Amino acid sequence: MVLTADAQALETKHLGFTISPHEECAVEEAVRIGGEVVVLTLGPAEAEEQLRDQMAIGADRGILLKTNGEEWDAQSTAAAIVDAIRAEGPFDLILFGNESADAAGFQVGIRVAHALGLPVVTGLKKIEVQGDRVRCERDVGGARDVVEAPLPAVLTVLEGLNLPRYPSVPGRLRAKSKPLAVVEPARPEQRLEKLRLVVPEGQGKQAEILENAAAVVAVMQSLGVA
Amino acid sequence: MIVCFVEDDELSAQAVGFARTLGEVRAVTFAGAYQPAAWAKALAAQEAEAIVAAGSDRGNELLAHVGALLDQPFAANVTAIDGDVVTRVRWGGSLVEEARLHGAPKLLTVAPHVHAPAEFDPEVLEAVDDGSPKVLERVEESSGGVSLRDAKVVVSGGRGVGSSEGFAIIEELAGLLGGAVGCSRVVTSAGWRPHADQVGQTGTKISADLYIACGISGATQHIAGAKGAKKILAINTDPEAPIFASADYAVIGDLHEVVPAISAELRRVRG
Amino acid sequence: MLVLVCGGIFARRAWFLTGLVRKARPSDRPGTEAERAVAEAEIVLGQRKLLQRLVPGLMHAFIFWGFLVLFPTIVLAAIDVAGGGDHTPVWYRDLADAFAVLVLVGVATAVVIRKIVRPERFRGSHLGEADFILAMIAAVVVTLLLWHHVGGTALAWAHLIVIGAFLAYLPYSKHLHIATAALNVWMARTRKRGRLEPLRFDVPDDELRFGVATIADLTRKEVVDAFSCTECGRCQDACPAYATGKILSPKLVIMGVRDQLFAQSAEPIVGAGVPEEMIWDCVTCGACVEACPVSIEHVDHIVDLRRSRLMVDASFPAEAEPMLRDVERASNPWGKPQTERAAWAAELGVRVLEPGDPAPEYLYWVGCAASFDERAKKSAESTAKLLQAAGVDFAILGPREGCTGDPARRMGNEYVFQAQAEQNVATLNGQGVTKIVASCPHCFNTLANEYGDFGGSYEVLHHTELLAQLVDEGRLAPVAGAGSVTYHDSCYLARHNDVRVQPRKLLNVIGQPVEMERSGKKTFCCGAGGAHMWMEERGTQINVERAKEAAATGAETLAVACPFCTVMLDDGVREVGAELRVADVATLLAESLG
Repeated sequence: MVLTADAQALETKHLGFTISPHEECAVEEAVRIGGEVVVLTLGPAEAEEQLRDQMAIGADRGILLKTNGEEWDAQSTAAAIVDAIRAEGPFDLILFGNESADAAGFQVGIRVAHALGLPVVTGLKKIEVQGDRVRCERDVGGARDVVEAPLPAVLTVLEGLNLPRYPSVPGRLRAKSKPLAVVEPARPEQRLEKLRLVVPEGQGKQAEILENAAAVVAVMQSLGVA
Repeated sequence: MIVCFVEDDELSAQAVGFARTLGEVRAVTFAGAYQPAAWAKALAAQEAEAIVAAGSDRGNELLAHVGALLDQPFAANVTAIDGDVVTRVRWGGSLVEEARLHGAPKLLTVAPHVHAPAEFDPEVLEAVDDGSPKVLERVEESSGGVSLRDAKVVVSGGRGVGSSEGFAIIEELAGLLGGAVGCSRVVTSAGWRPHADQVGQTGTKISADLYIACGISGATQHIAGAKGAKKILAINTDPEAPIFASADYAVIGDLHEVVPAISAELRRVRG
Repeated sequence: MLVLVCGGIFARRAWFLTGLVRKARPSDRPGTEAERAVAEAEIVLGQRKLLQRLVPGLMHAFIFWGFLVLFPTIVLAAIDVAGGGDHTPVWYRDLADAFAVLVLVGVATAVVIRKIVRPERFRGSHLGEADFILAMIAAVVVTLLLWHHVGGTALAWAHLIVIGAFLAYLPYSKHLHIATAALNVWMARTRKRGRLEPLRFDVPDDELRFGVATIADLTRKEVVDAFSCTECGRCQDACPAYATGKILSPKLVIMGVRDQLFAQSAEPIVGAGVPEEMIWDCVTCGACVEACPVSIEHVDHIVDLRRSRLMVDASFPAEAEPMLRDVERASNPWGKPQTERAAWAAELGVRVLEPGDPAPEYLYWVGCAASFDERAKKSAESTAKLLQAAGVDFAILGPREGCTGDPARRMGNEYVFQAQAEQNVATLNGQGVTKIVASCPHCFNTLANEYGDFGGSYEVLHHTELLAQLVDEGRLAPVAGAGSVTYHDSCYLARHNDVRVQPRKLLNVIGQPVEMERSGKKTFCCGAGGAHMWMEERGTQINVERAKEAAATGAETLAVACPFCTVMLDDGVREVGAELRVADVATLLAESLG
């Protein structure tokens, strides 16, 4: 591994207290790359457990940006993360889980990169650190687009990048005493202000009966798969 | 004036159609290798009340960059906008959010299939290469066929298929939809398909947009592998089959008739 | 001189072996002294387990009782060679002769079994060693008979020399069991057979133990188990995995542990002594433990070996990983939303306990399978309807009921299990629950026998026990049916917890029962135990094997009392293509009420 002894990789998860499979892959990748791995999340107190789980598979320390459980929009999330990175950094690599676009988290990595003046590559299925550069492969349907970037960089990764390890119990026990810093950032005005959530009609358990092939194909078209 | 980023595809055409309901639209595109940060700079430099794109991977990424550059909020996968209140879909359509977009220009991407496609004649904008990451080359996947894990559509067969040869119609439908073939544990135990095709607790967990379960009764362990799919269509002769409790769409019938009928209809509408 | 040499060899080895026992970790097998004494009387003196197979049992009983009776001849022979003459009283000589003949009958029977019948259970055993031991036994009694009837110190000497040689050989061979078997029977659990020994994680690093990786991690009972194995193979014969083509043989597991112990090997037992595949094949059904004449408890060994592989090395069948993650994160092994846990109950108007509510008379613990699995839900619905019809005051926890952790524990993930246990105990205790009725034998076992280690002691009934009670009390009045029904005993009910009578009481009332051969304590597993509901199975499937057996009874209905058995046997019956309806006892009872 070519990273220097005090090289660091930062892992961020910002969707509150449930870690997504993309984020798990990001942490696994960080641990594989080596160097000091810091995991960071923005979320309520319960999110500490998630950080401990990630330290159980090898992250060295954690940072919890504690909220009271309310959602933060992408801009405020990114701003809080940027503040934390500036306080803890510098980092060679900042990894995010590539949330789907409909989740606020999707934009955070890109916003963080711009704020820190770093290159960003998203949707990654493969990462190879080569000295002071990184060669990545983005997932595009059935193929891969190859992109390179100099380090330090921000990368967002997709599930399937690797197979995250199952934590060992000795690892979990050690994680209990690894350092975990808690910061309480102030929640700014939300510029994408959630007003309400609605469950659309027809979300019940009843399957909609389709009478013929034409009906089936019409559904397929509406789902964008036909 | 609304600037709409487009590519040569159906989703972009839909985005243009949607944008036109808000005002006059300039459809713009770029030439050359994809370089999101650079392209976004060019977009951000345009005078506009709103910058719009399709809710595709690229559209969403570009708008996110634009939002970062302009330090403005961006709403992804919007289905409607009224003043500064946007309605957008989350979790593949199972949740709808209304939110106020406090920003200018308004940055949004359009959810698929909320508007009819419109004709457009795109302007090619110039994007100055600023040294940010750009696509160097495209590498095709080495394995032929779509992987079960990543496939957007999975057509899956269970005990009802009856034999290894019976899977021919399953493969046909999967091929037409550009999807992968899956199966239940009964099928792998019977040796009709390899374990790599197995969907379930002890096989692959899929995350497709559509999972079509043919002749699968729907044991809990199987559903555990299929529940990652956004929508499930079940085809079974038994209306009491447990799979229907987890399905979004149901066809009560014999898959040996239904599946070829669907394939035929697909061919027909594609002309 | 003879005494010194042979005795010395024996003593030195015995010292080494007892040292291994003393150095081992303490074990925790519950039971009272009185119960253990009864076990000694039945199993050791009475040879009860051995007599489960009549002919080999008698063969061994003759030899064993013979040795007990003949023991004083050693002293008498010693007196003779020391110059004191033959003081054997006539009555004793006749008695001794009679038993000596019985011993020879036993030896002859053993020879016939081993050389002519050649049962499958000896595959993997050291047959040569066994032959030598039989020869020595024969030599002991032949020299005795000769000394009695031909006379002379020379023969007394011969008798003593053979015994001396045997004594020296004993602790180096599987005949060691004659010294350790009685101890092993004493140490075995006499209660809570379904309870695994808990591990402690809140101890200093040097006391931490994650199951068994090397021989240094073995508990005392595990060491004595290894010493007591006679390689008889009855466990192998009983094992459903072995019967369906897997490589697991409980006998070979114990022999593997023993060999590592004797060799004082520092190697990990899994790999060096026991092939990895074996430990994952196990369904924890306990048939091996039930069959073992010297009270070896194989399931503890296998789970302990799983524990270290899983918790320390994170090495285990990958297909079980989603289940482990889901139990931990979603509180159920299928990762379904807990909010849907009481969906089955909504239409029935079953009371869901809220925090602060008064405790019901019975807390109905539904279990994950009956809450989420379509086929298993029917038993929950039926049970609820029956309890309502009988006017029982009960409630369910609904979304606050979390997986008991049984699949994680049997898989070897003690850590995740304990987290679930602590959470559930807190919920139950917080609600003031004292009595629980459970549909699922695994939940039942864990709640009744295992949660006590985590501060939860409740009176726990299986739903068939409560339903049988209600029928007895006249609160439920089923109408007899004419259909033939066969009953599959769940391992965790019938074998680990001795619940065999009540389900049958119910079936007697509602249909015409017909028993399978492998029933009651001898039941043959459905194949889902040991977390196998979530693992791939190689070879012939256990559930198909059992479904065939059920179909062969000619019954119309296969009654079960467990959601896992329901699913496994329903699958098995479909696979076999039999005309057999698989239904829970509660469902059949509900239908019989009309």
